[in-house]
Amino acid sequence: MTGEPIEAVKNGVQVMISSLRQNPQAIETAFISIITFDSVAKQVIPLTDLASFQMVDIKATGTTCLGDALKVVSGCIDNEVAKTTAEQKGDWKPLVFIMTDGIPTDDWQSGLEEFKKRKTAYTVACAAGSGADSNLLKQITENVVSLDTADSQSIAKFFSWVSASIGVTSTKVEDGGKEVTGIGELPPPPSELNIVT
Amino acid sequence: MASLVILFMVHAMADKRRMMDDKELVIELFKIHNIFVPPAHMHLFEKFVQDKGSVKDIQVIKQTGDELMAKWKQKEKIAEILQTPLKVLNATVGKPYETKFDFEKFGWKDIQAYEFEGLEEAGLFYDQKTKQLTGVPTKSGDRKIIFKFKVEGQQDEDPFNEKPLTLIINPDPKTLWKNIASDKNDPYWKEDDVTLLAPLSDRHILVSCKRGRSHANVGAFREDDFAFKDLDNGWSIVVVGDGAGSAKISRKGSVIACNGVVDYFTEKSSADSLKEFDSLLLEHNTNASAETQKKLNRFVYDNLGKAVFQVHKKLEEFAKKEGVTLKDLSSTLIFTLLKKYDIGYALLSFGVGDCPMAVLNKDVSEVTLLNWIDVGEFGGGTRFITMPEIFGSDKFATRFGFKLVEEFSYLMLMSDGIYDPKFVVESNLPEIKNWQAFLKDIGGSNEDGIKVELSADNKDITTQFSSWMDFWSIGNHDDRTLAIIF
Repeated sequence: MTGEPIEAVKNGVQVMISSLRQNPQAIETAFISIITFDSVAKQVIPLTDLASFQMVDIKATGTTCLGDALKVVSGCIDNEVAKTTAEQKGDWKPLVFIMTDGIPTDDWQSGLEEFKKRKTAYTVACAAGSGADSNLLKQITENVVSLDTADSQSIAKFFSWVSASIGVTSTKVEDGGKEVTGIGELPPPPSELNIVT
Repeated sequence: MASLVILFMVHAMADKRRMMDDKELVIELFKIHNIFVPPAHMHLFEKFVQDKGSVKDIQVIKQTGDELMAKWKQKEKIAEILQTPLKVLNATVGKPYETKFDFEKFGWKDIQAYEFEGLEEAGLFYDQKTKQLTGVPTKSGDRKIIFKFKVEGQQDEDPFNEKPLTLIINPDPKTLWKNIASDKNDPYWKEDDVTLLAPLSDRHILVSCKRGRSHANVGAFREDDFAFKDLDNGWSIVVVGDGAGSAKISRKGSVIACNGVVDYFTEKSSADSLKEFDSLLLEHNTNASAETQKKLNRFVYDNLGKAVFQVHKKLEEFAKKEGVTLKDLSSTLIFTLLKKYDIGYALLSFGVGDCPMAVLNKDVSEVTLLNWIDVGEFGGGTRFITMPEIFGSDKFATRFGFKLVEEFSYLMLMSDGIYDPKFVVESNLPEIKNWQAFLKDIGGSNEDGIKVELSADNKDITTQFSSWMDFWSIGNHDDRTLAIIF
């Protein structure tokens, strides 16, 4: 992902963060981390509370190490999401959003195996543009959306939908610690987003 | 422009070899222009260089070169400052803010004048002494702050250089919470907040059940509920249920669960069956043995177990009738039956979910927990009375409890909306000091100084208690229920 799409992703994240900052539930409780993946996957922003969060420059060029990304996110969940013990208050289950515009170029199945072992409240994958394979993403999560083109408008729409989803579900996740069972419980996506069934 | 570059190059060379004399400078300059002085003209050249006019010209060249160098260095300094990536710590409206903004630490050594634009409007200022941006932000948003500066050598009349910075000021979350009334036309509607005082057993119950801010913010319903009653047979009962926010009509689930327990024990058959307890207790008290203890436990398990199972059935029937799933009614359930005997109070209890029940002895030096709480691996994870699997679990029997206490100061039942902010983790529950602190908190030792005088004669007790229940705790905005029997 380069040029317009990556700029749009950066903008999208900014807009998402600004809008979440207006949500009292989110600003008091949400933490955000960003992992990028191209020829390697790396966590560019460690899990940071929304109030302190600052976006960094992100780049994604070259190949698509989706498997590596799933491994990194698994490791981050292990290290950064606290589990409940008698002495420690556990965090809520994480929400994971994956966005890609390409087909994995690494051994992504082994990453998937790792990721499947982690518990998330829900995971949403977004196939951005024709270069991505939404059926492949279906193996990662039930909840897959696709964008016909990875242009800035569609990407912006995706992120505004993501912020709305976080807003709506954070209360649910917190109240019951329950899993949101499907995309049906998220706000209806805009027309630019196709739900992959 | 081209000639300037040439001059600069000439001077750069000259600078390297400071001792180079004028002659060499001119030779270098000529070289650049492909002028080579042949040996035959060397004499002429030397005279030329020493000529008064030439000396003056060379002087000008040198001077101009020096100025150009200085300008360049200045440009570089400015560029360095402009290019230093700087992140300014985010601020929050109303929260005292300070962050270091130390030029020296940034490696900016030659700043001779500076000012900040846009800082005052944000409620902040630059403290030269502490080298901090500080103050109490007044307005939220992504604010552009411009750091204006001049470096050494810049003239007074030169304009400031401008380095834009982004300062993110978060809104004060307290001001973001909305209080939207719930829809009264909803078939399962119930009041958003209830607080009351009533006699119970030979004591009083003060109970408050309030819709959490997270629900009020979106106009959702209170999911928590409670019930209590003095039964005709000398027993009294207090029940608390916390409907799961993720379930569709758990607000109704908690009502059915709480009232279901009270209804069960109000029925004649169950009231009758509780009678047997008197003789069992007497037997246990006069001649306590493993056998009598076992009988008592069995009694509690049988009677309370039936009640719980009936509640589960009721929920199942309701779900069927309304065409919803049992899961849609998810609610936790805790209750305590208490009866005063000559030898003290008998407390029979049951609990499923993450709502603690505890009894404090007369001088509040000991706490006895009446249940264990279901907490999951992740936040909010718990179990509900609607889960069929709890009945089949080998832990089911451990959900019941029997305690005989000579006297007690307080018996408390609470939902996680109170437990989470006030006790945080399970390991805090058995510590009496935490309950002492909790009572102090209720007694006025809190941020807002709201005091509840726990006395049945206190005319303002419900108002006081209701305001206390609204305490602020970051991230803890679930429904809150607290029942205190005192």
